[in-house]
Amino acid sequence: MEDEREKIVVAALIERAIDSTAAEVDPRLLKAIKSTVRYSDLELRFAAQTLMSLMKRDHSQVRYLALLIIDELFMRSKLFRSLLVENLDQLLSLSVGFRRNHPLPAPASVASVLRSKAIEFLEKWNESFGVHYRQLRLGYDYLKNTLRFQFPNLQANAARVQQERREREMRTKEILLKKFESLKENFSSIKVEIQSKIDEVEECLEILRMKDEAMPLASTDDEEMEEFRNSELRQIRLDSLKEGEKIQENSDNKVVFDALREFCKVLMTKHLPAIQEWISVLIRVELADNRFRDSALKDLIDIRNLIQSTKRRCEESGCYLPKIANAEEDDIWEEGAIEPFEKGKSGPSCSKSSDEIVASASNNTRDAGCSNNLSNRNEKKKRESSCSESDPLRSKLLTEAPVLTWGSFLDNWGSNRDFLANQRGLDLESHWGRVDYNAVIPAEKLAELNVRASVYEDEPVEIQPCRAPLRKGGLCQRRDLKVCPFHGPIIPRDDEGNPINEASTTEGTAGQDEPEESTPDVDSDIVDELLKQAVRNVRERDREAAKKRELDKQSLKRAKLAKVREHNEAVLRDAAIASTSRSAHIGEDIEMGRGSRSSKGKKQTLASMLKKKETTKDRLAQRLLNSRAKDATIRQLTGAEEANYKEAFPNQW
Amino acid sequence: MWKETREREFGNVRPNLFRSRISKSRASSIQLSNYKEILSSHRGSVNSLQVDLTEGRYLLAGASDATVAVYDVQRPTDYEGHGLIAKHRSLFAINKQHEHGHKYAISSAIWYPIDTGLFVTGSYDHHINVWDTNTRQVVMNFRLPGKVYRNAMSSIARSHMLIAAGTEDVQVRLCDIGSGAFAHTLSGHRDGVMSLEWSTSSEWVLVTGGCDGAIRFWDIRRAGCFCVLDQSHSQFGRRPPLLVRPTANKKSSSGGQSSGGKVRAPQRKANGNGLKLHAVGRISSQVKTAKQRSHPGMLSSHDRATGHYGVVTGLKMTEDGMYLLSAGSDSRLRLWDIESGCNTLVNFETTRLQSSKALQIAVSDDSSLAFVPCMTTTKVFDMWSGQTKSTFRGHYENVNCCWYNALDQELYTGGNDWQILVWSPSKLVSDEADEMRNGQAVAIDQDNWSD
Repeated sequence: MEDEREKIVVAALIERAIDSTAAEVDPRLLKAIKSTVRYSDLELRFAAQTLMSLMKRDHSQVRYLALLIIDELFMRSKLFRSLLVENLDQLLSLSVGFRRNHPLPAPASVASVLRSKAIEFLEKWNESFGVHYRQLRLGYDYLKNTLRFQFPNLQANAARVQQERREREMRTKEILLKKFESLKENFSSIKVEIQSKIDEVEECLEILRMKDEAMPLASTDDEEMEEFRNSELRQIRLDSLKEGEKIQENSDNKVVFDALREFCKVLMTKHLPAIQEWISVLIRVELADNRFRDSALKDLIDIRNLIQSTKRRCEESGCYLPKIANAEEDDIWEEGAIEPFEKGKSGPSCSKSSDEIVASASNNTRDAGCSNNLSNRNEKKKRESSCSESDPLRSKLLTEAPVLTWGSFLDNWGSNRDFLANQRGLDLESHWGRVDYNAVIPAEKLAELNVRASVYEDEPVEIQPCRAPLRKGGLCQRRDLKVCPFHGPIIPRDDEGNPINEASTTEGTAGQDEPEESTPDVDSDIVDELLKQAVRNVRERDREAAKKRELDKQSLKRAKLAKVREHNEAVLRDAAIASTSRSAHIGEDIEMGRGSRSSKGKKQTLASMLKKKETTKDRLAQRLLNSRAKDATIRQLTGAEEANYKEAFPNQW
Repeated sequence: MWKETREREFGNVRPNLFRSRISKSRASSIQLSNYKEILSSHRGSVNSLQVDLTEGRYLLAGASDATVAVYDVQRPTDYEGHGLIAKHRSLFAINKQHEHGHKYAISSAIWYPIDTGLFVTGSYDHHINVWDTNTRQVVMNFRLPGKVYRNAMSSIARSHMLIAAGTEDVQVRLCDIGSGAFAHTLSGHRDGVMSLEWSTSSEWVLVTGGCDGAIRFWDIRRAGCFCVLDQSHSQFGRRPPLLVRPTANKKSSSGGQSSGGKVRAPQRKANGNGLKLHAVGRISSQVKTAKQRSHPGMLSSHDRATGHYGVVTGLKMTEDGMYLLSAGSDSRLRLWDIESGCNTLVNFETTRLQSSKALQIAVSDDSSLAFVPCMTTTKVFDMWSGQTKSTFRGHYENVNCCWYNALDQELYTGGNDWQILVWSPSKLVSDEADEMRNGQAVAIDQDNWSD
C-alpha cells in the first residue's frame, strides 16, 4: 500500500514535469524527482518505467522533456543506467528516430532538437560510462559507423583544436629560429652594407653642400610650378622654398641628386623594413642564450635610428624623398587630392555664374530633382546640411529653396551653353553624316523650348453624406455638394440623423431622459416618438445597471475561488517537493484532481503544437480536390478525349 | 557452487554431472558480455557463424559484403579500458579483393569438421569455395546452378566428405571434396532449399527445408527422400504416446486413409511394439516405412506434406539427434520428434521471425535451450515447454545467425548491423576481484548524486 502511494508520487511528478511546452524541465520539479528517486530503488525503477513509456508518446515535446529527465538520472544513478541500457536500442530509436518506419512524431522543430540532443547525450554517456556498458558502445558505434550520424564530438574537437594550435606554434617557432640563425650568420655583412650605404649618402650630401655654397639661389621655375598642380604639394614646395637653405636641383648637380635619391630609396625600401623584421624576429625568438640576441637587437635599433636620421637630413637638404621613397605614397596623394578638387569645382561655377544665389539654389534643386522624391526632402536637407555644415550660407539657402517636381527641364537647368543641333552626326534616314559645328541652338532658344510645365491639381474635398434618417431605418448615404435631392440642404447631423443645430435650439439631446417641453413648431408625432425613445432609454439603463451588479457579484465569487485554488496549489507543490509520505498523501487526491484538470488545460497547448498550420498549399488542395472541381476536370478530360477520338476516326459512329 | 565442488571432491557427485550442472547454470545466466568484444571486420550483414568443432576456438563468419573472417574467441588481440574490455580482432579476413574471393554475399561459411585446415563458403554468386585456412587459397570450387543458400557438412561423418548445398534450385547437391564433383543430386523439393542439416546421429541422413515449406529426410545411400514432416501430424509430449488417446480418431482420418491395408509392415522403432496400431504417430510412421519398402520415392499424397506454411528458414538438430527444431517464415518454431516424424506441438512463444533469409538457430549442448533470432532480438526458449527464458537485445537490426559455444557457454550472434556480439555468463567472482584491483584507475561505475 505504502509502495503504491510512493510510486504514484514519482509518476505524478514526472507527468507534471513533462506537461509543459518549455524547452527545459522545471528545475524545481526536476529536483523533486531526483530527491524522491535517490532514496528508493523502487521509485527509481518506477521512474525508469514511466520515462520509457513517456518516450513512446506520439509527441516530440513529451519525448524531449522525458529525455532530459532521463539524462539527469542516467548521469547519477547506476541502477537507472543498468535499467535503461537494457532497452537502449528502443530508447535510441524513439529519441533519434533512426528507424525509417518509426520517424519522430509531430512538431518537427522539437523533433530535430530532440534528435540532436539525443545524439549529444549518447556521446556523453558513451564517454563517461561506455567502458561499463557494452550496449552504450554498441549504440554509439552503430549510429556512428553504420548509420554515419554526425556526432558533435565535443571533446575530440577541443583536443584537435588544441593540437592544431600547438603545431602552428611549433612551426612559427621553428621559422623564427631559422631566421635567427641566418641573421646570426650574415649579421656583420649586413651591417657593413648598410653602413656603406649610409656613408655614400653622407658623401652625396657633403658634395651638395659644397656646391651650394658656390651657387646662388635659383628662382622658382615655371614648369616645375606647372608640374605640381596639387595644392598641397604646392604648399610643401612653398614651404621648402621659404626655408631657403634648400639646394635646387639643376643640370650641374643632377647626377648627385639622382645618386642620392637612389641610395635613399634603397635604404628606405629595402633596409629599413628588413631591419624592422629582424627586430621583431629577435624580440619573438626564444633562445637559451640571450647574449647575442641582446647585442644584435641593440645594434639593429641603432642602425634603424641612423637610417631614419639620414633620411631626415636628406629631406632637409632638399631631396624630395617622399616623392622617390615609394610609389605607393603617390596614390595616397592622388586620393587626398580629390577632395579639394571637388571643392574647387563648385567654387569656379559659383564665380562663373552672374548670380551666386541662383546657382547654388539651382544646384540644390538639381539634387532634389534627381532624387525625384518630394517626401524625403527633410532627409535630404539633413544630409546636405551635415555635409555642408561648414557652409552656413549654402545651408541657409537650402532651407529657403523651393522644391520642384522632376522634369526634363532640369537637365539643362542653369546652364547657358549653346547646343549643337546635330551633335551625333546622325544624318537623315539613319546615315552617318558630318557634324555641323556651326548649326547651334542658342541657350535662350533652348530655355524657351524647355518650358517648365505644371499640372493643376485641385485639393481633394471630402463630400459629406446627407445622413438624413430613412423611413426603412438607417441613414441616407447620398453624397451631394450642397443639397440632397430627397432631404434638402445638407446639414450636420448626429448618429441618429437628427440635425444637430436644430436640436440644440429646439430641445435637449435625445440622450436626456426628459424632453424639456413641447415646442409649437415641432409637430406632435415627433414629440411622441421622442417620449417613447426616452422611456426606452431609461428602462434600458436600469436593466444594464442590474446586469452589471450581477456580473460584479459573479466576478467577486470567481476571484475568491481563484484565490482558494491558488492556495491549494501552493500547498500541493510544497507537499510534492517535501515528499514526505504523509504530506504527499494529503496532497494526493487534490493533486490528482488538479493534475488532471491542469493537464487538460495544458494538453491543449501540447496539442496545439501538433496542430498543423493551414498553408496555402492546403487551401489550394482543398479547392482543387473538392468533388465538384474533380468532376469538372474529369468531364473536361473525357470530353477532350472524345473529341480526339472523333477527329481520329471521323467515319465511325 | 562451493558446496557442489565439495560434493564432487567427496565423490557424491560425478564429475560429468558436476560439469553439466555448472555449464547449465552458466548457460542460463547468459547476457550481453561487457568484457569480450569481437571487432567485426565486415561491412555487411553477418549471415553465418560457426566455431570450429575441434578446438572450439576459431569463429568463422561469413557476411553479405563477400567477406569471410576468422576470429580467435579465446585469446583477445588487444585490451581497452585498462584491461576491462578484451577485443578480438579477426585473425584474417578474405574479401572481394582476393583473387578467388566471392563476388556476392556469402550466405554460409562452415569449418571442415575434422580440423581447422579447411573451410567452406557458399555464396550468392553460385559458387561454393573450399579454402585452405593456412594459405588462404581456394583449393576447390563447385559451381552450382543458383544462389547458394546454405551448405553443411556432417560433423560425425567417417566415411564421406560431402558438402550438402541448398540453392535456389530445387535439387539438393552433394559436393564431394574428395573427387571435386557432385556426388548426388537429391530431387524432391518443389522450390529452392533454404536450410540444411546433417543428422547428428547418423552420418547418412540429411535434413533439408525448402521454400515450399517441406522438411525432407534423405538417406544418401538410397534414392529419394524417406520422410517428409507433416505439421498436421502431431503428438503430445516428447515421445510418441503409448496409450490410445481419444483424439486419435480425428487425426487418423488425415493420416490413415491411404494406408489402410499396409499395416503389416514391421516396426523398427525402438519403443514401438506393433500392437498400438491406432496411435496416430504409429500409423503414419508405419505408412512411411511401408512406402520406403515398396517404393524408393514417396507416394504423392505424402510427398505434398509441409512442415511450415511458407519457407522453412532454419533447421537445427539437437546434439543427440532425436529432435529437430525448425523455423519458418510463418513465424512458427516447431519441434519435431525425428523418431516418429511428428510435430511435438510445443508452443514456442515467438513474436516474429525474419522470413526472407535463412536463419541459423542454436541449441545448447544438453538440448534444454534454443537460441533463435527473432528480428532484432535473440530469444532463448526452453526447448520442452517453449517458454521464453530471456530476450537478448543488442543488435540494432535483424539478427541472422547465432552459434552456441558449448565449451565456454557463450553465444555469438551476427546481424544485419554488421556486428558480431558475444553473449556470455557473468564473470567469475575471482575474475571480478581481479578486475576491482585493476579497475581503480578507471572511472568506477557508481552512483553520483550531486544533490
